Amino acid sequence: MDLFPLWLSLRVSLSATALTLLVGVPIAWLLARRRFPGRNVLEAVVVLPLVLPPTVLGYYLLVLVGRRGPLGQALASIGLELAFTWGAAVLAAVVGSIALVIKSVQAGFETVDVQLEQAARTLGRSEWSVFWSVALPLAWRSVLAGTVLAFCRALGEFGITLMVAGNIPGRTQTLPLAIYDRVQANLMDEANALALVAVGIVVVLLFGLSRLARLRY
Amino acid sequence: MSGTVSVAIEKRLPGFTLDVRWEAEQSVIGLFGPSGAGKTLTLQCLAGLIRPDAGRIVVGDRVFFDAATGVDLPPQRRRIGYVFQGYALFPHLTVVRNIAFGLRGRPRADRARRAAEVIERLGLGGLERRYPAELSGGQRQRVALGRALAIDPALLLLDEPLSALDAPLRRALRDELREILRAWGTAAVVVTHDFTEAYRLADRIVVYENGRVVQAAPRAELLWQPASEIVATIMGLRNVLHGTVIKATPDRIQLSWRGQTLEAVNSPTRSYLPPPESPIAFFIRPEYVRLVRKDRGAPDPHHMNLMRGRIVGEADFGTVWILRLRLDAAGEPAQGGFDLEVEVPHLVYEILDIERDRHWEFSIHRGSIHVLPA
Repeated sequence: MDLFPLWLSLRVSLSATALTLLVGVPIAWLLARRRFPGRNVLEAVVVLPLVLPPTVLGYYLLVLVGRRGPLGQALASIGLELAFTWGAAVLAAVVGSIALVIKSVQAGFETVDVQLEQAARTLGRSEWSVFWSVALPLAWRSVLAGTVLAFCRALGEFGITLMVAGNIPGRTQTLPLAIYDRVQANLMDEANALALVAVGIVVVLLFGLSRLARLRY
Repeated sequence: MSGTVSVAIEKRLPGFTLDVRWEAEQSVIGLFGPSGAGKTLTLQCLAGLIRPDAGRIVVGDRVFFDAATGVDLPPQRRRIGYVFQGYALFPHLTVVRNIAFGLRGRPRADRARRAAEVIERLGLGGLERRYPAELSGGQRQRVALGRALAIDPALLLLDEPLSALDAPLRRALRDELREILRAWGTAAVVVTHDFTEAYRLADRIVVYENGRVVQAAPRAELLWQPASEIVATIMGLRNVLHGTVIKATPDRIQLSWRGQTLEAVNSPTRSYLPPPESPIAFFIRPEYVRLVRKDRGAPDPHHMNLMRGRIVGEADFGTVWILRLRLDAAGEPAQGGFDLEVEVPHLVYEILDIERDRHWEFSIHRGSIHVLPA
């Protein structure tokens, strides 16, 4: 059996999770702690990927990064192509999962007592240090939960990926797409095996999460 | 350790305006008043956590804030030790790391030495590796103090430092806190809504009411000469009464109350001389009303302001009884169903057999009737 879709999915999901955290955690922090113009707009935009149909999201992403799209052209000018590559699958997974990370981490930051951050400031700590020494260590449970949710969501990403990365066996065919393909081809044994692998990964992750969450800090 | 703390700030919030100015030589300053009067807001402005709309804050020779020149030091650069209400200890850090939290930027050996010194001076030895959740209320308070004192602050701010504790501990820790403040000699501003606490901890007390300062005075002066009826009420004084002036001189005030003529001591330093017939407020501390013993015959000349009345209510507070007296005089009683609250020690209550004997003659020394300027 061809295990390429499994390895691709793991690679895509891990990269997407890392990117999601990198972008999502600062946005979550902004939404939880800062008042700025356009905050409400940002808050609304953040949840859009959760409520829009995946194919619609995928369509717009394709318009954006396709050969004639603004981002696509910019990338092409430096010799890069994103549409229908595994990078596009990463982009799809990021878009699909970032709302989960932002909402979960934002809720986590909001439960941190503002007074603790103020105490850190009076003790001479910079905003950067307040974030790393107080906010993040106290909200780590939410960050962890958001990470696991994002990874699972990225692993299961189907609609957006199909639109923007395609379903090219050996190149962009991720685990969910491969399962779909096998079912279409009536290869039920292979579909079954791949599905079980997906279930196994998610169960192990969720179990690990519940164990970790029992640790205090 | 020289100079003064000088605060003159305005801050408008929805539904509340803070407009206060006070100044004090560096020592322990108490901000006293009811909840919501703006005391904590003042601390936050002092610490730089909230920016006033206008005014100036100076501590010693350093200008923290000056709206006119645009100076506004961030909290990081004010070197203020803030002990928050509820302490705000970092729950994810051990005692020693909480205390060393403000020492970042110093060499490692320095930090360790300073933290160890603070831990030793505050009697926290042996608790270094504990987390805040594993400490008692009193230990938490000392850790919070230690964390603030470790940075050798120019000014220490304490927001209701005892409110997180239960009553018996509260009293013990009030005295402990007083000792610590004296021993470290750091200038401090203590916020409290409890007058006893303010009196025990502070040298000078600033009384807040609804965003304003209604009196600022050394603690003894506040205790004996509240500046107005508002201050007396905030202090929780009982028997705040209203009469009419008969005659006022620099050292005596004669007044009429409930058909009685009372003589009170005026304060020459205050030179309060209300004209005759003007309304006047005064208070009488319940423990200074003296019942006249029936077996001792006529009262001696010290017994001034003699009156008669009946006990119409009483409450047992364990070591003392609070009696409610209604004068024999005609007319409506001054405080609803009664005229005066009187406090007598339990022993006196038993010796005089007050339980059965309800009608008494009593006296109030003229020095115990305190006039409140309008």
